[in-house]
Amino acid sequence: MPTLIKLAGGTAAWADDDFVMVGLEDSVPLSGKVILPLSRYAAEAPAILAQGRKVGVRLEGADEVEALAPFLADLSVIALEFSKFRDGRSFSSARLLRERFGYRGEIRAVGEVLRELAAFMMRCGFDAFEPTDGSTPEEWAATVHRYRHVYQRAADSRAPAFVEREA
Amino acid sequence: MYLYDEIDRDMLADRASEFRGQVARRLSGEITEDQFKPLRLMNGLYLQLHAYMLRVSVPYGSLSPVQLRALAAVSRKYDKGYGHFTTRTNIQFHWIKLKDTPDILDELATVGLHAIQTSGNCIRNITADPYAGATADEVDDPRVWSEVLRQWSTFHPEFSFLPRKFKFAVTASPKDRTAAKAHDIGLVLRRNRDGVLGFEVMVGGGMGRTPHIASTIREHLPADHLLSYVEAVLRVYNRHGRRDNMYKARIKILVASLGIDEFRRQVDAVWALIEQGEIDLPPSELARIRAAFAPLNFESLPAISPTFEAERANNPALARFARNNLRPHKQPGYAIVEVSLKAPGATPGDATAEQMELIADLGERYSLGDVRVTHAQNLVLPHVKLDDLPAVHAALAAAKLATPNIDLVTDIIACPGLDYCALANARAISVAQDIGEKFTSPDKAELIGELKIKISGCINACGHHHVGHIGILGVDKKGEEFYQLTLGGSGAEDASLGEMLGPALAYDRVAGAVETLVDTYLSVRVGDERFLDTFRRVGVAPFKEAVYADAH
Amino acid sequence: MKALSANRLIDGDVVFWSNGSGVDQFSKAELFYDSAAQDAALEQAKSQFTTVVEPYLFDVAKQGGIFVPVSYRERLRALGPTNEPTHGKQAQGGHEIAALAKAVGGGHTSGRIDLLRKN
Repeated sequence: MPTLIKLAGGTAAWADDDFVMVGLEDSVPLSGKVILPLSRYAAEAPAILAQGRKVGVRLEGADEVEALAPFLADLSVIALEFSKFRDGRSFSSARLLRERFGYRGEIRAVGEVLRELAAFMMRCGFDAFEPTDGSTPEEWAATVHRYRHVYQRAADSRAPAFVEREA
Repeated sequence: MYLYDEIDRDMLADRASEFRGQVARRLSGEITEDQFKPLRLMNGLYLQLHAYMLRVSVPYGSLSPVQLRALAAVSRKYDKGYGHFTTRTNIQFHWIKLKDTPDILDELATVGLHAIQTSGNCIRNITADPYAGATADEVDDPRVWSEVLRQWSTFHPEFSFLPRKFKFAVTASPKDRTAAKAHDIGLVLRRNRDGVLGFEVMVGGGMGRTPHIASTIREHLPADHLLSYVEAVLRVYNRHGRRDNMYKARIKILVASLGIDEFRRQVDAVWALIEQGEIDLPPSELARIRAAFAPLNFESLPAISPTFEAERANNPALARFARNNLRPHKQPGYAIVEVSLKAPGATPGDATAEQMELIADLGERYSLGDVRVTHAQNLVLPHVKLDDLPAVHAALAAAKLATPNIDLVTDIIACPGLDYCALANARAISVAQDIGEKFTSPDKAELIGELKIKISGCINACGHHHVGHIGILGVDKKGEEFYQLTLGGSGAEDASLGEMLGPALAYDRVAGAVETLVDTYLSVRVGDERFLDTFRRVGVAPFKEAVYADAH
Repeated sequence: MKALSANRLIDGDVVFWSNGSGVDQFSKAELFYDSAAQDAALEQAKSQFTTVVEPYLFDVAKQGGIFVPVSYRERLRALGPTNEPTHGKQAQGGHEIAALAKAVGGGHTSGRIDLLRKN
């Protein structure tokens, strides 16, 4: 059963997750796509990429996205962790990836990923989610689209209220 | 004042409908209390000592008569017929039922009120000068910038889960009525030598367990760059503020640990990389918001009203009220009227539904449809004609709202304390009432002059005790209520933190100790020194000696 | 000795645990003498999470012939706020409320009321 929801063009749908999340102590599978922890990325990714395999990276809230700058062209997925509901650091990380570093690949929310955060995540540039509250794509999309307006610019393309008012 | 347009109203409707769904999921058992608690807190709904408490936002302390009547109606229909105005210029209802909250939010939304930004680790309701648009000493209207900040910060996708709550204050006057230096960010509008409008940006103030007075991070930020600059400040804080210890999570701790110069360097580095033109408001939107606060249609009146002067000469109560509760208005023939919610024996900050309705009526009839809430837990009618003062005073007096004590010894700030609050260690309201009983003579209160007593029932310092001329902090000693006194704090432009008087006092010694402190002040003051000035001149020693002389 | 208190989910009212459910008055609260009984009550209350929220145990002791909460905070919950004598549990009146108020020193008084200390 799929556990990954992807958002594209305003629609949310289940997606097959063909990346294997490699933990800090895990050995890297011999084939297929992998997501490495940031601390292992620089040392291990080049060899995997050289095999023509896709590689992603996983950052915890405290990890700084600036460290990814040299690798962005090689990255297929950047997974940003929400260790708990209250930890909002990954919102900043996602915006920086989109807005400062121009990263256009997948940014995936992992960890404590709840429906109530969906709209915030989407606005900060997340486009893939591993919900832990049993949310379906329909429920996810409903939350994302619940608010008809937004007040400020962020990493998405939504026009803020001050632009709507000009129209 | 700013009227919500269709977009603002849609926002509130969407929010209310979202919360209705969340309450339904909780009541049906679909989600647990652990899952629901952060959701209800994001809608201002706390579980307190006796019941749920709903905190409704009063954005930058500004209310229309229609809104004030709606608050009165909520208090009557869903609570016990009163509301409690707080030091953050919000209003709390202390006896709310969970099942009613979706209906309450719907009703409030119809008049542009809501509970957004009243809880959680987000940017909270913005405090502004309660005399905005009325006082002669402001260089711009701080409500314009408060509304700019309100919209930018509402449901901010990046800054809704900060390390801790975040409070702004905005003032445009050299006399600070917002406690700006005790906020996470304090903004003071000024014009520089070239006449350019800008903000002195102060950061890292706060109370709580480790109080700090804010440091200036920028002397003069051009006003139209406000949003991109505070976005940079918030981003540095969101990424680097401590999340391992909630008592060290406020921005004051980050600023103190980095030092203001290093913090400034980090903010400037982030700010330089932000697409400022994307974040800062376009001139058209700024103009739209500014137009909502355009100068009102004041009448051209003489600076002195013969009607008022004649009444005042014949009516000592009116004369006393005028001495203590009026503030100068920028328009000749008008006054700013403070409505005290600190009548003898009353609960500081409480107003009954009838009182709210009366003030709404007076605001409509006599104050150009404008009512304000102050951080000192009083209300303000900002635009009253001098000619109307006798009528306004009489109406207020009939509703026990004409207590002539603004900034005097009985104008005490007190948080709800242990009588209501789940966090409190000791009561605060009854301490205020006991102190009030020691100072029943209004003549003596005027003789004492400006004296700001602030009481908090716990270290979270909602009662601003750190910046009280006399600060009183309730502590729990083995189940017993004790109180720690501090002297010499100020939340105004001359901000300072209070100095500890001595060992904590038992409940029944506090009011007497305050009386002793006041007597000591009166015996050593020089000229027209305020309590605070005397304390700063003579130090804590004579006060300490007097209070603890009879201690055993 | 302990009693258990919580708030009712739907309206937030303070309740005290008795025979497996919440009752309105402290005087009706069940007393739990040993830690096994206390833990069992707490678990039971936690399991009823669509009825009550934030259950917890608090100390109770005998004073003036009746059982009263030890801490001042719990006395306030059992009676109501001291600044509004008609709000909260105290509004219901009756001899049990009167006895509790008397035992704890009344509604509006100092915190130093025949102080009982936690053992």
